[in-house]
Amino acid sequence: MSVLHNINMTIKKNEFISIVGPSGSGKSTLMHLIGLLDTPTSGRIFLDNEDVSKLSEEKMASVRNRKIGFVFQTFNLIPRTSALANVELPLIYAGVPDEQRKEKATKMLESMGLGERIYHFPNQLSGGEQQRVAIARALINNPSLILADEPTGNLDSKTGNQIMEIFKKLKKEGNTIVLVTHDMEVAKVADRIVKIYDGEIV
Amino acid sequence: MEKLFETLKLAARTLKANKLRSSLTMLGVIIGVTSVILLVSIGSGLKSYITGQLEDLGSNLLMVMPGEMEVGSGGSGSMQGAGMAAPKFTMNHQKELQAKGINIKRVMAYTENNATLAYAGKKHITQVAGVTYEYPDIRNQKAVLGTFFNVSQQESAKKVVILGATVTEKLFGTENPVGKKITLSESKFTVLGVLEKKGALGGNDMDNQAFIPVPTALDTFEMDYVLAFWVQAKSKEQVEPAKEEVKKILLRTLKDDDFSVIDTKGLLSMVSQILGTLTVALAGIAGISLLVGGIGIMNIMLVSVMERTKEIGLRKAIGATPKIIMTQFLIESIVLSVGGGLIGIILGFGGSVLINQFFPAMVTAWSVLLAFLVSVIIGVIFGVMPAARAARLNPIQALRYE
Repeated sequence: MSVLHNINMTIKKNEFISIVGPSGSGKSTLMHLIGLLDTPTSGRIFLDNEDVSKLSEEKMASVRNRKIGFVFQTFNLIPRTSALANVELPLIYAGVPDEQRKEKATKMLESMGLGERIYHFPNQLSGGEQQRVAIARALINNPSLILADEPTGNLDSKTGNQIMEIFKKLKKEGNTIVLVTHDMEVAKVADRIVKIYDGEIV
Repeated sequence: MEKLFETLKLAARTLKANKLRSSLTMLGVIIGVTSVILLVSIGSGLKSYITGQLEDLGSNLLMVMPGEMEVGSGGSGSMQGAGMAAPKFTMNHQKELQAKGINIKRVMAYTENNATLAYAGKKHITQVAGVTYEYPDIRNQKAVLGTFFNVSQQESAKKVVILGATVTEKLFGTENPVGKKITLSESKFTVLGVLEKKGALGGNDMDNQAFIPVPTALDTFEMDYVLAFWVQAKSKEQVEPAKEEVKKILLRTLKDDDFSVIDTKGLLSMVSQILGTLTVALAGIAGISLLVGGIGIMNIMLVSVMERTKEIGLRKAIGATPKIIMTQFLIESIVLSVGGGLIGIILGFGGSVLINQFFPAMVTAWSVLLAFLVSVIIGVIFGVMPAARAARLNPIQALRYE
């Protein structure tokens, strides 16, 4: 009764891959494993050549904080909290001092074209803007891997395309990106597409 | 330390984002702490006022009262039967005590009755005390107008009266009462003087009394016996011997259970014990509201954890450890309870200053400290459960939560 089996894959540095599959295929579980939100019952996962499959909860949190940037379908910004404070959050958990944090987060938001909106609350931002704040938050600790789960799922196609342009740009800048989607059009932007069906790569 | 400060700032930010909810939650603790401080301040104010009044009586004072009364040593005492038995004291007892007691400075007979006082159409019903001419010395209360009666006026049972400040005001207003004739229980009395103000004790106005010589009182009220004796010992050291003397002298004509002799020390310890118990009881009742406030905090924190499930999942995903989440929620509840506690202390302080205008109230350091500590402890105790629940959340499920 395993959700995933016989999964053997390598994601290279600066690679942009898409994981596609219908719902119930196991792609979410795969994403949780890659994102260190879950641990495998068997098998091993390496991140930056380090075995991360049997870490304690505390260690996993620390690795997620430093090495993985999450982008979600529903943005998941903290409500009633400014864009700046949202982007600062991973830096707080990483123990970066206050002033450095503000400076870094402001720069990151500016690079996302949100320089005018750093003190806005999520509910004062459009969907596209919210997703850009979320991307800024994912990038703030300079992660080894950006993990995006249906990042355009809640956006209209025009805004969705803009977000995908950002991911393309990030790939060019040397980032490693894993994009999880059920939309083949979106998946095509990646260098490589991994198809999952019934818990196996096909 | 840096981390803790960050968490504190984070908690303050969250609480500020939910202003109405935070302040309503705090209200429970505010009311609890305010009432603890207020009630304790009333209790201790009353205690210090009454003990002050008793000490005013003079520490060398013994009271002889009818019936049996036990005042145990070490503060445990009971008032059972005090003043309940019919008195069998006469003026002869007074003379005997005065004459034979080596350790006794003076003996005052005391009796009282309610009577109607009337002057120029105005009527006032109040307590009339039959006392002896030494009363001003024993009570340390001088006549501000006129004089107190003297020994010969007392011996010849003259119909003279000295009024308390309140009685004077009721019957005479601003008029000088000295030398005027008033009607007291259908007899005409001459006003000799007015006593200085002593103030009210709770609702009991000590100045709402009139004083007449004991023999006059026995005649007027058709009494056979006086109610009590106030015996003043010659010195502090002679209080105990005087007590024994009084007992010995009175036992010649009275039975053992006809009277009891108590000293102010015993009375003091009894009163302070009763009021101490009262204060603790009041604090306990107020403490219940503090507990209710704490449950309010737990309730809100639980709702908050539920409502912010997705946020907790997100925080965990981007690197918050269970410990960080735990601390965050714990600090939120502590900020709520301590904030409420501090506001409650300020309100309690202000409230008791206000009450003190009408009624003796005194803020005690221990009640402030206790209220503060209890509110901190409440924040921790009632915050731990919701915080632990938040820390345990599985990030995957939490992120999916709608």
